[in-house]
Amino acid sequence: MATLQQQQQQRLYLTCIRNTLEAALCLQNFPCQEVERHNKPEVELKTSPELLLNPVLICRNEAEKCLIETSINSVRVSMKVKQADELENILAKKFLRFLSMRAEAFQVLRRKPVQGYDISFLITNYHCEDMHKHKLIDFIVQFMEDIDKEISELKLSVNTRGRLVATEFLKQFI
Amino acid sequence: MILLQSPSRFVLQTLQNRVLNSPEKGIDLDCHSFEFDDVRYHIQFSMKSPEVMLLSMSLPTPPPEAVFVDGLPIGALEAVKAVYGQVVQILDPPKDGFNITMKLNLSKLPPDEDKRHIELIKIASVRDVVLGAPLRMILKNLALKTVPPAVDDLVALVHRPKESFFLLPKVDKVTVVYPMRFKDSIDTVLAISFLQEFVEARRTPGLNNAPLCTWSPSPPTELEGAPAEALDANGGFVTFVIFPRHVEGRRLDRTAWSLSTFHAYVSYHVKCSEGFMHTRMRRRVESLIQALDRAKPDAEKSKEGNSFKRLSIKDARNNSHSR
Repeated sequence: MATLQQQQQQRLYLTCIRNTLEAALCLQNFPCQEVERHNKPEVELKTSPELLLNPVLICRNEAEKCLIETSINSVRVSMKVKQADELENILAKKFLRFLSMRAEAFQVLRRKPVQGYDISFLITNYHCEDMHKHKLIDFIVQFMEDIDKEISELKLSVNTRGRLVATEFLKQFI
Repeated sequence: MILLQSPSRFVLQTLQNRVLNSPEKGIDLDCHSFEFDDVRYHIQFSMKSPEVMLLSMSLPTPPPEAVFVDGLPIGALEAVKAVYGQVVQILDPPKDGFNITMKLNLSKLPPDEDKRHIELIKIASVRDVVLGAPLRMILKNLALKTVPPAVDDLVALVHRPKESFFLLPKVDKVTVVYPMRFKDSIDTVLAISFLQEFVEARRTPGLNNAPLCTWSPSPPTELEGAPAEALDANGGFVTFVIFPRHVEGRRLDRTAWSLSTFHAYVSYHVKCSEGFMHTRMRRRVESLIQALDRAKPDAEKSKEGNSFKRLSIKDARNNSHSR
């Protein structure tokens, strides 16, 4: 469905995210500085500015963007999905809510998106130790790709069904 | 099943069970059923007289603009008598909480199997007979091209609880307008995209003879003079223009049924497509979880028998050195 140019744009966007993630995902264990025997993702708490790095915002256009916030022991990746019309908006909302409710199964998925974004991941140093880093990046990039694909396929299926339903109804009168 | 069928499955099956499985065995039966979120059925058999069935139906509460006579749409009583004849006796007053109660005598059904089946289907289509009666009257006038008694007057017919659709009968056509309302915001968006497909589908060459169909977010001019609360619809307004050719002969029944259940038809398909979406999304979640599992070394360890733990620790150390 997408034109060649759009596909190329999408590839560039995703490559940029992939490269940024590769650079950002060099995490180390870092116990909390304030409370003894606590170990928290610093990017969420933002207690000490020396542990945070500059966030990176990657935009494909106004509607689609990806924010990567980095700290010493955790990375937060938030994305905004394209929503061209009301139907896409509803489908995206429905689908992402569906995913967020299953955040437990995804480990790295945040249950609530960061404000202004549709879906967020929180990757800590423990995730990086348990999983292959490059495969984790693969997963996130595939996730982004899949969401776009799924939403456009859902939209197509709603339209196809609508057409079928309408045709069958009108056929009765002939 | 794409199109809705006019006999209620519940009523039909209860009747068939009763008729086929030796009616002389009298068991008490008392069951309720809902249909399309608006009509309620109640079936009663008693031990004392196993041949007699009481079928009660409660109709959606009419809005003020739709006219009901004695709790029934205009012409419904006559239609019931005309369709069922001997088999059915209407009880007056109906049971508490219902609009109509009918006493069916199963012994008066024709003994021939095929004829009996046709009769049973007719009884199960009671919704069509009662609720569709006023609509059928108007469409019949159109088919006969006679001047309807209230020409140029907007007629409101109830089709959902406290909601009605409107007909504007003329000598050569009947304009039917549906204000579409949905409770859920997701339903509304899906329904609007469906309704726009109706307009698109009408333009395809194969459907040139279908009724003209338009959709607009604001009330069409036909609805001038309708009460204000009827003009507030979150799903927009659908208009069909029915010509005499759509109600000729046997088409009349089908047209009346489709028109009186248009809202149920759309909302049924909206719900279906939501169900379909959930199946899809569940599948997609599974495939994404698999993608995440691929990132876990345990999954591969069993395959290759390698220790990845050490590798990843080294990775982590390398990372910390580079910082």
